[in-house]
Amino acid sequence: MLGAFDYVRARSVDEACRLLAESDDAAVLAGGTDLLVEIRNGLRSPRLLVDVKSIDELAVLDADGTERVIGAAVPLNRVAEHRAIRDALPALAESALSIGTYQLRNRATLAGNLCNASPAADSAPVLMTVGARLTVAGPSGTRTVPVSVLFTGVKRTCLAPGEIVTDVRIPAPESGTRTAFLKQQRIRGHDLAVVNVAGSYAPDAGTLRVAVGSCAPTPVLLEPIDASGSVDVVAGRAIELAEAAVSPISDVRASAAYRRAVLPVLLRRLVDRLLNGGRRS
Amino acid sequence: MHEIRLTVNGRVERATVPAATTLLELLRERLHLTGAKEGCGIGECGACTVLLDGAPVTACLVLAVEADGRDVRTIEGEARGGELSDLQKAFIDAGAVQCGFCTPGMILSARALLDRNPNPTDDEIVEAIAGNLCRCTGYEAILQAVRLAAERLRGREASEGRRLPAEGDEANSAMKGGG
Repeated sequence: MLGAFDYVRARSVDEACRLLAESDDAAVLAGGTDLLVEIRNGLRSPRLLVDVKSIDELAVLDADGTERVIGAAVPLNRVAEHRAIRDALPALAESALSIGTYQLRNRATLAGNLCNASPAADSAPVLMTVGARLTVAGPSGTRTVPVSVLFTGVKRTCLAPGEIVTDVRIPAPESGTRTAFLKQQRIRGHDLAVVNVAGSYAPDAGTLRVAVGSCAPTPVLLEPIDASGSVDVVAGRAIELAEAAVSPISDVRASAAYRRAVLPVLLRRLVDRLLNGGRRS
Repeated sequence: MHEIRLTVNGRVERATVPAATTLLELLRERLHLTGAKEGCGIGECGACTVLLDGAPVTACLVLAVEADGRDVRTIEGEARGGELSDLQKAFIDAGAVQCGFCTPGMILSARALLDRNPNPTDDEIVEAIAGNLCRCTGYEAILQAVRLAAERLRGREASEGRRLPAEGDEANSAMKGGG
């Protein structure tokens, strides 16, 4: 037994929002791979779990259109294995695949990875750099929240009580856009990131978007970076911006000094991949 | 309390459970299917892996109520009519079982892999079982067992009674950069 909570399988977004708003201590249950662990470890003790996986519109995965829509209940393996996502947004597929194990990814969702609001959330830097937005439903209607402003602190988001994410939307990228994701971890198997970085580069626009995770209370999206010049020059700009934006701490996975040392190495590799055709370097 | 109805290894089961009961507790303590094991209890070790509608999940992080109306397969559903499954035989033939604690989950992860990909590469096998920790075997014999089962599935008649490949010829490179 994990605790003393009750459970409701919501059948509509309205029902889920109402249940969450009515209870003063309810939690959204999507994949449950973070929530149930936190309950088991005594870090959270909600009285009600509202399961959103049976809400039809949250199960949508439409990655073939110009705007890609990933429902909040879609498990990570479906995202990572989707042909159109692998082709157009390889960094998103790679970041999804780097989360947990195959079994966990059959449960864990992209929206859950974001809403759990870990500083190390692997999908967050990628989604920030491609301008992803969340559709958020709540008691007072629906609003759109860019992933870049979702995070307000460690395990904190800007979502209000009674609000749920219904999908993640990724706008059509400019033609020729390349994406990349790199993650430093202690072992090659499943592990949280020591540092993760993601980037998106649209050659026609001449700018790079880069985001950094695991180095501050939240993932951080850097200001657009001028892509002109050599890899070293462009990487230098990214490193300068990143170093000013982060405040790494020491924890069980790495020391702050190690994170500061790894960050520029990953950023240089990232810029090299983005500028040199997105190949692994 | 929640009334649930699910299929476990082809049999319809009904139970009344508190919301906080995990699928693993339902299987082990109510249905007395003790093949799935609790190792870590937080989805890291894979000893509790079962197939939920055909997809491997860690049963310690699934609520029994979430399995209402779903299809569950456990290691107890592998053998049919008293005969071990292809994977079970391959695990024995390859010496892939030592203490056995990880084996049920390992076999179900391998089962799901072979269901979706009957001809996996070593990297794909490693990725599929990366969420199943084994502290005895060093994994090589397990990789060999999955390869062997895949081989037998692909060409049963030709493979029957075939000698196991010499240890190490393919196996040595398998875990490089994996696990």
